[in-house]
Formats: sequence, structure tokens, C-alpha cells
Amino acid sequence: MAELSFSDFLMQNLTQFWHLTGFYNATWQHFVMLAVGLFFIWLAIKKDFEPMLLVPIGFGILIGNVPFNTEAGLEIGIYEEGSVLNILYNGVSAGWYPPLIFLGIGAMTDFSALIANPKLMLIGAAAQFGIFGAYMVATAIGFEPDQAGAIAIIGGADGPTAIFLSSKLAPNLMGAIAVSAYSYMALVPVIQPPIMRLFTTKKERLIKMKPARAVSQNEKIIFPIVGMLLTCFVVPSGLPLLGMLFFGNLLRECGVTTRLAKTASNALTDIVTILLGMTVGASTQASEFLTAETIFIFFLGFMAFIIASSSGVLFVKLFNLVLPASKKINPLIGNAGVSAVPMSARISNNLGLEYDPSNYLLMHAMGPNVAGVIGSAVAAGVLLGFLA
Amino acid sequence: MKKHLVLTLVALLAASVSFAQGRRGLRINEIMVQNDSNVVDDYGQRGAWVELFNSTFGPLEISSVYITDDPAQPKKYPVPLGDVNTEIPARQHVLFWADGKPSRGTFHMSFTLRPGQDNWIGVYDADGKTLIDEVTVPANLPAGHTYARKADGEEGWEVRTGLTGSHITPSSNNIIRDTNVKVDMFKEKDEQGFGMTIMAMCIVFTALLLLSVCFYLINRIGAHISKINKMHSHGLAIHETPREERPDHDSSEEIAAIVMALHEHLNSHDQEQTVLTINKVKRAYSPWSSKIYNLRELPRR
Repeated sequence: MAELSFSDFLMQNLTQFWHLTGFYNATWQHFVMLAVGLFFIWLAIKKDFEPMLLVPIGFGILIGNVPFNTEAGLEIGIYEEGSVLNILYNGVSAGWYPPLIFLGIGAMTDFSALIANPKLMLIGAAAQFGIFGAYMVATAIGFEPDQAGAIAIIGGADGPTAIFLSSKLAPNLMGAIAVSAYSYMALVPVIQPPIMRLFTTKKERLIKMKPARAVSQNEKIIFPIVGMLLTCFVVPSGLPLLGMLFFGNLLRECGVTTRLAKTASNALTDIVTILLGMTVGASTQASEFLTAETIFIFFLGFMAFIIASSSGVLFVKLFNLVLPASKKINPLIGNAGVSAVPMSARISNNLGLEYDPSNYLLMHAMGPNVAGVIGSAVAAGVLLGFLA
Repeated sequence: MKKHLVLTLVALLAASVSFAQGRRGLRINEIMVQNDSNVVDDYGQRGAWVELFNSTFGPLEISSVYITDDPAQPKKYPVPLGDVNTEIPARQHVLFWADGKPSRGTFHMSFTLRPGQDNWIGVYDADGKTLIDEVTVPANLPAGHTYARKADGEEGWEVRTGLTGSHITPSSNNIIRDTNVKVDMFKEKDEQGFGMTIMAMCIVFTALLLLSVCFYLINRIGAHISKINKMHSHGLAIHETPREERPDHDSSEEIAAIVMALHEHLNSHDQEQTVLTINKVKRAYSPWSSKIYNLRELPRR
């Protein structure tokens, strides 16, 4: 020790420090992921694509891909037991962030459209074919049934559900599944309109639907109670998501818990969204994320999304064959069967207005849209029940 | 004050019920009466043992439950308090030695098992009266064999020899699974995923169809109730037809025709051309077009 000169001592420490820096530990994979993170932030800020999700996820990707010496025991990585990021990530890995988000969704969603026209629920059910269509493709590619189920849930267009299910069925694929699900949800305005145009005629796009009746508060109160009991009796494994969704809605509709409903739909949802988005982004560490499987997951997720949107639209066309002329449904609301709330309902409305400036479809599309939320949670429960 | 008292009592009752429910998940899982070549205890000695299994999906604290080999003496061996190891994690096991030496620690019971005889073993809850689980080990159980549940915590017992396929598993699962059976079955029987798709879509449709039918019925009942309320507010009996639905009630078209006829008949103007426009007056207001009822508006009482 005595032989070590002061300059050597300085050099030794500086060298050690250099070995800990991101510059020393960087690989090309890190830079690819940093570019992906920056792309997400750009999409959110410049293109206004789901900024509430893409900004936290994008910045999370930057956080998760700052290179460091993983063998130094610094306890900073998201996968290192006891690190701050690891503690925050527990909500994702143990699956308790998604039910909290569902609580918020329930507290901010008005189910009137669905209650007034209950047959629209079937559109939400039909759109779930995207999940199981993708499941078939995933098993054909060679994924294990549990992995295929976790990937296929991307077709539900429901980020929290995708995270919840993948944390149970395929935790190793969760990062890729979550990023894929949220990416496609952000790209709903790009993906869905061509599909809707492809499967509909001009005459069908001009169908005007009758305004639904006003829904009484009693019906709104009964809905979450009956909805939770019925759906959870059929699929008890969907309880964490469906229970919280309907509980949030009861807080909103009962009229005596306004303060709780406001907290659930604003502060709580915002807090959980920040933590969920950031940690999901940070979980995409280059070493875990940049694999051939991720490419397959993105491909399958895209397919699932297309199948889901198409099956919703096609189901409405099929449904119209048995409906009287006065009760025909505009197939442009079929895409809203996926549960990207309220984005896909807005797409239905915008496309409807494009062909007839007086044809407002938003409230009609909200029916299948919220039915899609229920449907995807039920589908997740089914997959969990069969494969967990 | 009374309300708070009732609420507290309900909460206490719920807590005690859930506690009892947890205890009921305790199962006797495997028993060895003559241990000649099997597992040894902390003192390096072989003895008879009884394996308990927590069949619930939450941790289970078993201190103060009783384990006994005599139904007449349900409180024969109380599991001691104050040992952290008496909390069995979810779906896990704990081994008790039936060596008659309770002074050796928490997991050494105060009785032994009797080779060549039927051995009844029971587990009682903390009250010493509620029997949680019981089993009778047959007298002909050979040395080195165990009497075990075929699967952890489930019905059905068998004699285990210790040979391949009939493993003796102290403090371990009676069935050792290295794969997910459900996944394997889907992989084998439903290679293409059609089965999953058909079953899952049927379930999803059933769930939402049930909800849909239920709310269709609620709609109808709601509409009927509002109609009755409306008629009551107009002072009509339920069987009476509302004024606008009566056959003698003039429709707006009929009124318009009468007005036109009167206009023709009484017209004293012979110079100007009169254009009569009849517009149906309808309510422009609807909650669907109201800005008040937007998606994020919370209802107020």
C-alpha cells in the first residue's frame, strides 16, 4: 500500500470511476433502446399520440437503458432486488398497478351508452376475437400456450390488462408486451381507420343511429353491482380487474362518494399511471428487450390489433342482418369494441363525421368501447383460469 | 354510537370468520409411523412424523392449534406460541415429530405413534373442540412407508413405498411438478389453439350476453315503473290509457287540418297568397346532446 504513489492512487480511483460510467459500459443495444425511448417521447410531444402514456414510458426507457456496471452491486437497476426502481416495479411484477388503474377507469367512465343499448355489449365481446386469433398465430409460430396467451392479450388494446396477464403468465416477456400494447394503443388513429374503410360500404357508413334514451341514476347504480356479480361469477379469475373497474364505477355513480370517485379518477390514476408507465419503460433494459422474441411480440401484437378491429366491424355487419331497418347499427362503431377508451370511440366519431357531418357516433361508440374494457378483462380472466 | 357499535361488531365477526376459514385450510398431509431409513430430526434421530399442509393461498399461523392421537384428549399437544416457524407459508408444509419429547422444541410432539395398530391423528382448532382434520393410519403400514394424500391437501390417500413413482416427501409436495399441467395439456391437445379460441369466445360472449340480457330486462322494468309513476302523477289509474293515447285524442296532424280548413273557410283575404308551413315541434333537448352530461361529469345528488 505504501508503494502506491499519490498520482497512482488518483489514477486508480479515476479508472475505477471510469469503469462505473455509462460511457464505459455502453453497448450498441443501449443506444438502440435510448433511440426508441426518444422516439416515444417525440411521438408523444410532437404528434400528440397518447402523451400521458408515451412520455412516462419513453422516459422510463431512457432511465432503464442508462448503461452501468451491473456487477458493481450499486442497487440501481430495476431488476436488482431492493433498488428503488425495483420497489416501484413491484406494482407491475406483482400485478397490483393494473387493478388500481381499472379503479380509476371505472370512476371516470360513464356506462350510460351501454345501459341504454345493452346489445352493444356484444360488439365488445366480438372484438375479443383479436386476442384469440393472435393466440392461434402465436402457438403456430411456436410460443408456449401461456406465452401465447400473454402476447395475444395485446389484441384487447388494454395496457393494464396486458401487464396484469403477462405478469402472471409470462413475466419474462412483460416488458415487450407492455410496450407493444401501449404503442399500438397510441397508434389507434393510424391503424383503425383503413380497416374500418376496408370492411364497410359508403351506405353503411351513413347509417344514422337513433339517440339512445336517457338512463336513470338507479340504473347506473345497479349496473356496477350486477355487472361485477355476473361477470365475476362467470370468470372469477377476472376479479382483480373487473372488481376494481365496477367498484370505481359505483363510487362514481352512487352520488354519495363523489370525493372518492374524484380521487380515484384523478389523483390516484395519475400517480399509478406515472409509476406504471415509467417502470414499464425502465423494464425494457436492452439485454432483456432486444431479442428475436420481442420482434415476434410486436408482430403478433399488430396482428391481434388488426384482427380485433376487423372482427368488431364485421360483427356489426353480421348483426345488422338480423336487426330491423330502424335499429341498424353503424359498423363504424365496431372498431370501438377494442378497449382503447375513449380513443377508438373518437375514431368512430371522426370517421362518421367525415362521411356525414351531422352523424355523431361518439356516444354510440362508447357503448362497445366500455364493453371492450369489460370484455378484455373477462378474456384475461379466461386465459388466466386456463393457463395459470 | 349504536351504529358504530354495530359496525365494529360486524367487522369483528368478519375478522373472526376469515381467521377461522384460514385455520380450516390446515391439512394432515403425510404420516410415517416407523422411520427406519428416512429423514432425521435436528438431533440426528429418526422418529415417526406427521406432515401438515397449508392448503390456502395465504400464510397460516398454527400456534395454539392442537395435534392429538386420542379423540378423548383433543388438547394433547398444543402447538406453542411465540415461534415464528409456526406460520406456514401459502401451499407449504411443516413437519412434526411424534417422538414424545416436547422439550426438544416446537415441532416435537408429546406423543408417539404405535406401529402395528391403527393410529388416529386429529388436528383441533384453538378452542380444542373444532376438529379441523383427521386421519386414521392403517395398522398394516410397513416400516419405511408413509400414508399420504395423493395430492397435497386433496381427498384420497395412498401408501407410499419410497420407490420411483411413490416417493416419500417429508416437508415437500406429495406430487412433484416441474411443469404447468394445464399448459402441457393445451400444448398436447390443442396445438393449433382452436379449442382455446372456441371456449374462450363462448365464455366472453356468455358473460357479456348475460349482462346484456340482464340490462335489457332492467330497462323494461325501469320503463314500466316510470310509466306507472307518470300515470300516478297525472292522477290516472294504472289500467287507464294516457290522454295522448286515447282514440278520441286529436293528433297534432288533425289539429293542423282543422286549422287549415277554418283558415280556408274564414279567409277574408282575397289579394295575397298565404303559405302555411306546419312544423312538428319537438324537444331539441336530449342528454345525448347536452354539454352538461359529458364523459367526465360526475353525478350529484
